[in-house]
Amino acid sequence: MPGAPVDALRNVPLFAGLDDDELAGVAVLFKERHFTAGETIVKEGADGAAFFLIVSGEATVAVRAAERASLGPGDHFGEIALIDEEVRSATITATTDLVCYGLTLWEFRPLVVQNGEVGWKLMQSLAKKLRSAES
Amino acid sequence: MSTTEATNELTFDPPGPGFYEQDSVHLPRAATRYWAETHPAPFAQGTSEFTAFYGMLIGGLSMTYINGIGYKSVAPLPDEEVPARFARAEEVFANKLWREQLREWDESVKPAAIAKHRELQAVDADALSVAELVAYLEQCRDHHVKMIAQHMRYTAGAVVPTGDFLAHVGDWTGLPTAELLGLMRGASPVSAGASDELDLLLAAIEADPRARELLASDGDGAETLAALRSLDGEAGAAMTAYLDLVGNRLLDGFDIAEPSVLELPDQLLRAIRTAATTGVVESDLEARIAEVRAKVPPEHQESFDELLGEARTMYRLRDERGVYSDIWASGIMRRAALAAGRRLAASGRAHAPEHAVDASIAELRALLEGAEEPTADELAARAEYRRTHSARDAPPTLGTPPPPPGDPSTLPPAVGRLMRATGIALGALFGSSQEEHGEDTLRGLAASPGVYEGPARLVAGPADFNRIVQGDVLVTVSTSEAFNILLPLLGAIVTDSGGLLSHSAIVAREYGIPGVVGTREATQRIADGARVRVEGAAGEVKVLR
Amino acid sequence: MLEEAADTSVFGSKAVGLGQALRDGLPVPPGFALAGPLVEAVASDEEDAIEHVVATIGPLGGPLAVRSSAVDEDGAEASFAGQHLTLLNVPSAAELAGSLREIWWSANSDSAITYRKRLGLFTRPSIAVVVQRLLDVECAGVMFTRNPITGSDERMIEASWGLGEAVVAGLVIPDSFRLARDGQVLERRPGLKRIAVRSLPTGGTVEADVPPELVERLCLDDSQLEALNDLALRCEEVYGPDRDIEWAVADGTVYLLQCRAVTRVGTA
Repeated sequence: MPGAPVDALRNVPLFAGLDDDELAGVAVLFKERHFTAGETIVKEGADGAAFFLIVSGEATVAVRAAERASLGPGDHFGEIALIDEEVRSATITATTDLVCYGLTLWEFRPLVVQNGEVGWKLMQSLAKKLRSAES
Repeated sequence: MSTTEATNELTFDPPGPGFYEQDSVHLPRAATRYWAETHPAPFAQGTSEFTAFYGMLIGGLSMTYINGIGYKSVAPLPDEEVPARFARAEEVFANKLWREQLREWDESVKPAAIAKHRELQAVDADALSVAELVAYLEQCRDHHVKMIAQHMRYTAGAVVPTGDFLAHVGDWTGLPTAELLGLMRGASPVSAGASDELDLLLAAIEADPRARELLASDGDGAETLAALRSLDGEAGAAMTAYLDLVGNRLLDGFDIAEPSVLELPDQLLRAIRTAATTGVVESDLEARIAEVRAKVPPEHQESFDELLGEARTMYRLRDERGVYSDIWASGIMRRAALAAGRRLAASGRAHAPEHAVDASIAELRALLEGAEEPTADELAARAEYRRTHSARDAPPTLGTPPPPPGDPSTLPPAVGRLMRATGIALGALFGSSQEEHGEDTLRGLAASPGVYEGPARLVAGPADFNRIVQGDVLVTVSTSEAFNILLPLLGAIVTDSGGLLSHSAIVAREYGIPGVVGTREATQRIADGARVRVEGAAGEVKVLR
Repeated sequence: MLEEAADTSVFGSKAVGLGQALRDGLPVPPGFALAGPLVEAVASDEEDAIEHVVATIGPLGGPLAVRSSAVDEDGAEASFAGQHLTLLNVPSAAELAGSLREIWWSANSDSAITYRKRLGLFTRPSIAVVVQRLLDVECAGVMFTRNPITGSDERMIEASWGLGEAVVAGLVIPDSFRLARDGQVLERRPGLKRIAVRSLPTGGTVEADVPPELVERLCLDDSQLEALNDLALRCEEVYGPDRDIEWAVADGTVYLLQCRAVTRVGTA
């Protein structure tokens, strides 16, 4: 089966509003990617090219060298730079070996534009991030 | 992790009251166990001998090794000895006591030392039985100990007259120390690598077409030296004599972990070639001396001649006391330790012959006789420790600094003169290395032109990437494609290894930022955050203060 | 088959370059070129694509060297040096799927995409792949057919023990040689070659310590330098001037591993 397994996406909050057909349609766009423990996945200040979903493993998020959050299975990252086309807003480092599924910007944008549910969920998660950054 | 982080994990406690200062000029790296155990006693002994000889107001110097890093401290003089020192200081200048040291050096001490070096280095350590090898190791160590003391004993002999000259002539002319030191030129042939043996060798090579051809060839260094050595006639004999003189000298430093001349044959050949092609340089020394003399007030000019004469006579002692004492003895000890190391590696007690330098003599003896400790892993761990712990990252001083010295005018004139001479000379002769530290210049391959000044960021690998900010100078061992993510942020690139066609060089040129690669030790000599200037076309990196 | 690769919009210039080299009789180790879309299909986990690759390449045996060949790479005025992955010592065709996926992602990584944008390339990348048998290499390195620092008409060669990775990735200070166009050796400078990259029997490579006596010993002799100069001449005849050549010496033969355009020197 090409792409990510549908099961991997089913419990991801970002895709919660999608039915199985829609999920399958989305899943096929993803490609598997592995990172090793310690690897810098995304670097703050660099241009962004991909969006990732974590299937297994853990990573940390740091902004200006201060650790902000940690990410695990089901979490996603990398969408902000793909949305505003500015540089990466944080550095994300793999703490353990990671298995992820990723989309490049060439798959991400059509996905969001064509799929209102996914777009809505993304906005919700961004709004949440915005609130916690402001508080 | 970086050497800074590795060293920061250790605690450095002063061993007692007093003030301890690192000697990172002579000991830039962590010491082997052998050196840390061997160095302190003869160092203390030799220094106490010179302070007594010259009537100085200190008991001597001590060296303490903490976490393998060497710290020097001053051993105070008991009050009851002060009057004797005052009296002695008077005699030093009145009778030019340093000449006694030089006579002793030339007539008995140096020849005896050289004879002993030759005796020990003639032994074929690989052919000895275990018992003989153990005895030989101990002989080499005992000889090394004597040579360290010998080196220290003659320290002041070079320093005092030179410093005296600099102090007086500096006052009379206002000229800077560096310029005045230029008048010492030619007074120390051994510093320039010259010797009778080298002169004979160059003459013999010049006269022998086979030797000339070999020297001009670009073949393998070790093979070329061996071929030169085995030529019949003058050239072969001269090569052998020259190698016997310089072969076991350490190229740099004093610890037995440092390589000796014979271990880097390509470098030696290059040096011989340079000596062969460099003609005699026209010396403008007479003119320079006359120039300086003219600036000296007439009533002091005779003193100028006398002071200059003494300084030039003694100047060669500065380098000879090292080259003919412990720089040679250390190479001999290293050679013996490596022979032991070959046996231990063959029997599986060491992972590599080189690891033997990390054992003490007592440990080498035990291992050769069949003991199981220290284990091969332990020895390898010690070598790794030295590689990963840099003296520069350790605290430069420990303990409370002493109060500033009292007003020298309250001291008897001879004592004051002595202190001033010593202070200036140490500053000029060894503190010129301090200047090097103040403006360290590293050289590498000129990979990409341009000049850039900015803060250095030591990056060991991707885990350090988030420390880089816009405008940093990347300093790292080598770069891989993983580093590309940093490129838009960098002002310049400096690497330890890599050539002009390596990844770092190519991306530096493409990004149009200055790049110097293949510096060998940028990551060891540049501190994280230090301000550096990278001169790409010159292939130089300067650490600014 | 590598010698059939002719369309750069499908196979990328590296593959086509090597294919052309084979057609011109240059000493390139034989192998296969996998088109960009095929590589993407394998990276997406499409079974048909994976089966096709394993079946085609299986006969080549192992171990394998897998190199990326970006479509539109050499059209741009940049070397993409180090941007795209080379995977050495993939044990056999069975392990290729994972390698191809890694290569696909390296072309789509943040840094690769940034690099393309900097060069004014905003379209999505397409990455083809070259698969060849891995040679048992004694020494290897890089040769520029013109001096990249001074622009002089001479060959600059950097060489080290083991696989050329050591020179390309700057793991050592390599031996450095300069040759005049007529083959005369202008300079030989031994480097400090403490590390050699060697292939492991089980796959992958390792950085091994070089024996002390070899660290400063020149790894190329005059006959090999002559062979390299011949190679430079032949590459220039086929491709034109200013070539960046990756080469290796294996079983006494000088092989051509890669040949691409040298990018402009930073003295512009």
